[in-house]
Amino acid sequence: MSERWFPDEMPVPAVNAETNGWWEAAAHHRLVVQRCTACGATRHPPGPVCPTCRSTASEWSELPGTGSVFTYTVVRQAFIPSLADRIPYVVIAVELDGAEGARMVSNLIDIDPSDVAIGMRVDVVWEDMGPHLALPRFRPAADAKESER
Amino acid sequence: MNAGPGAARRGACLVGIGETRYAKWGGIAETSEYQLAIAAIQAAVADAGLSMDDVDGLASFADDRNDATFAAADLGLPELRYATMSWLPGGGGACAAIANASMAVETGAAEVVVVYRSLCQGQFHRFGQGPGGRPTKGPARVPGLRKARTLLEAHLGFTMPFGMFSPPIAYAMVLQRHMHRFGTTAEQMGVVAVTTRAHAARNPRAVMGDRPMTMDDYMASRFVSEPFRLFDCCLENDGACAVVVTTHERARDLARPPVEVVASAQGTPRGFGHGQYSNVGMPDDDYTSAGARTVADRLWARAAGAGVGRDDIDVAQIYDHFTGLVLLSLEDFGFCGRGEGGPYAASGALAWPDGALPTNTHGGSLSEAYIHGLNHVVEGVRQLRGDSTCQVDGAETCLVTSAAGVPTSALVLGRR
Repeated sequence: MSERWFPDEMPVPAVNAETNGWWEAAAHHRLVVQRCTACGATRHPPGPVCPTCRSTASEWSELPGTGSVFTYTVVRQAFIPSLADRIPYVVIAVELDGAEGARMVSNLIDIDPSDVAIGMRVDVVWEDMGPHLALPRFRPAADAKESER
Repeated sequence: MNAGPGAARRGACLVGIGETRYAKWGGIAETSEYQLAIAAIQAAVADAGLSMDDVDGLASFADDRNDATFAAADLGLPELRYATMSWLPGGGGACAAIANASMAVETGAAEVVVVYRSLCQGQFHRFGQGPGGRPTKGPARVPGLRKARTLLEAHLGFTMPFGMFSPPIAYAMVLQRHMHRFGTTAEQMGVVAVTTRAHAARNPRAVMGDRPMTMDDYMASRFVSEPFRLFDCCLENDGACAVVVTTHERARDLARPPVEVVASAQGTPRGFGHGQYSNVGMPDDDYTSAGARTVADRLWARAAGAGVGRDDIDVAQIYDHFTGLVLLSLEDFGFCGRGEGGPYAASGALAWPDGALPTNTHGGSLSEAYIHGLNHVVEGVRQLRGDSTCQVDGAETCLVTSAAGVPTSALVLGRR
């Protein structure tokens, strides 16, 4: 099992036919995005049809796991009891390299919340929440430099 | 208000309003949410000077637990000819429900439609809380993935496990980005909270009417999710309200001065999806907006056809689940430029009676009550009857907006 940052009681994702493949890849620590095989556009969350070209053909495209912080919030209220000793924590929307227009929600860990900034470069790190569930979190990139954004 | 080129065709009218008492969540335990809905409908029909025998349609919006079919039977409607619930989520459909009722009476599908909303967050769950509003119990072990029952639930699978539990967290991220791009400040958001609290102080229905707030109070309130403090977030309430919609012809003979639906619009721009609560991948200009830019363009075009321009608006009821989203709505509806919502609010524009655009004259969801914004429509009617506790002198036009950051809707109401 990986290092742990969040408690076991965090909500478990509900999945459907469109999203199941993403979670299967995640369980194997593969960060993927749904890519249209007709026009190449990426989309997230996964859906049944490409909003750009309306093709229903798609594939799971593996990403390098690097990106930058598009926006964030420092959560200071424990919305579930077991977070009481884990607040504050940082939720981010991350702009992923190789997945234009397909930002994802995640967390920034291993950082003082007052140091978080929009544009900060981040790297993926996996947290195993259970035997079949792994979540991609992010930590500041080793060579953290702000992107151009 | 001038009779414009489209004035010959008169829109549907809002002829009755009804409200129960409003209370903090859990404050109404002796009456069920459904009983409150029935009470609000009865009050609105009585206010219009109509009988339940005149009502032939019911309309509401997303996730309503109080089915129109049961209500029609229980209220003894002679015949139910029209029953709709808007798909626009959360509070996004309040104005859309009015618009849908208006279209029903204008096409003859029905003649008298009551739009209603009842919320007892104490009896069900508090929207501002975590998953389902229930403390998570059970074994300290993730049981594996489960099957989503709805499309939204599958989308929230990409947010909830990361601790984006509730709307204030999602929309705090929107305002963080807005601050980054445009320099919006906490004090500018605070102006919305403080101004509408002052309006509520004059309103005997307002849940927070006896709780004055200064800017120091605002700044001292605890952070929920930065940059949102507790006082950036709307209330969680128990209560219900209803609005009666009928034709212009029928409205002329009723008890109250009719308020006309001058224009309406609903929807989203391309790529906006269900809004920033479940979608962070939309274009930046939409992400940092209320999602109402296309709705606003359509609304103003239609209002212009009826002889009403944006500059003619006398008073506004802007959906206020969060202070910051009011700033974004003001931008989307064009009362100020992109990124200028903060300075516009800070100029005093929203304050009754002297601001350029007195806004949320009942106190809004931040200070009157959170009834998914249908109470904003009720206040719009009250302003145009001359009955508001923060009455804008001679008000003839009112903008009402429904939600922000989700698919949204809006109305221009008029008196003429």
